[in-house]
Amino acid sequence: KAWDDDADINPEDEVDDTDGVDPEAERAAWKLRELKRVRRDRLAIEEKEKEREEIERRRNMTAEERE
Amino acid sequence: KQHLVATGESGEVRRATLEDVKERFEYLKRKREDEKSREVVDLTARIEVAVE
Amino acid sequence: MAHQADAKKSLDERGYTGALIRGDNPLKLFEKAVRDRIVDSYYWKEQCFGLNAATLLDRAVELTFIGGTYGVAQKPTPFLCLAFKLLQLTPDKEIILFYLEQEEYKYLRALAAFYIRLAWEKDADVYTTLEPYLSDSRKLKRRIREGWALTHVDEFIDDLLLKNRVCATTLPKLNPRLFLEDEDRLEPRVSALGEELEELDHDDERDSASDG
Repeated sequence: KAWDDDADINPEDEVDDTDGVDPEAERAAWKLRELKRVRRDRLAIEEKEKEREEIERRRNMTAEERE
Repeated sequence: KQHLVATGESGEVRRATLEDVKERFEYLKRKREDEKSREVVDLTARIEVAVE
Repeated sequence: MAHQADAKKSLDERGYTGALIRGDNPLKLFEKAVRDRIVDSYYWKEQCFGLNAATLLDRAVELTFIGGTYGVAQKPTPFLCLAFKLLQLTPDKEIILFYLEQEEYKYLRALAAFYIRLAWEKDADVYTTLEPYLSDSRKLKRRIREGWALTHVDEFIDDLLLKNRVCATTLPKLNPRLFLEDEDRLEPRVSALGEELEELDHDDERDSASDG
């Protein structure tokens, strides 16, 4: 998805970039974003492992078939 | 470019060093802090006037 | 050392003698159409003329939003113009790191991060330099095509490391983190959540278990 293609459009005054208005909520929101990133990265590793196993499995299969 | 050099505007800018950058940064930071404290002073002065 | 105050000379293919990034003129990291719009913009002509890496701070500390181009005319944001200026100046690495590491001005940090993603040639360095700021949860205002959006420093960093296009610019190729880890060029990232991570993970699993 392209950076400029956001659907949610706000007028300037509705977007407030003041930090520390509600530190607890801001921290909680960050934790959630970070948790999502960590999970996404973990998932990518798992996917790659699966792929590797599949390649390995196929390689073994052809070896057996050759016998 | 020749005529620019002749008019004293070579169009060249001196390259900044890390020291230049740090100095400018500190200057801008101080300036902002001064402006902030002046605003506070202004506000207190105005409140005092209003109270009187 | 000095450089030209104007971009015209820097964009002249034959006359270019400045620093190279990935073997080419750094200004070409921006697409031709975007370059033209920047060079034509009022902000570029009036506010960026004759800046060096120190005086550029005067403008950078005044930034109030990030973004690429906006509106029907696809006007470039000051953020984009300053990034273009940085590509023209190619300041020393230590200066860019100073921009990035300072705490006072979050938009200056975002600008430095964008520059690093564009200009640094070693993938592993890009990851190790930018990732620590995934823990910077401060808010950033973002100009989008027709309006405004809210993002955060950590999200912006994540976008820089993951997306192909950010702020009207196609980012140079960056190998995926996993690839670099497999090649032993990068250690796995340690999340700033630290020990909290396990707790959060647990809570979440329990929640979803009870839901199902």
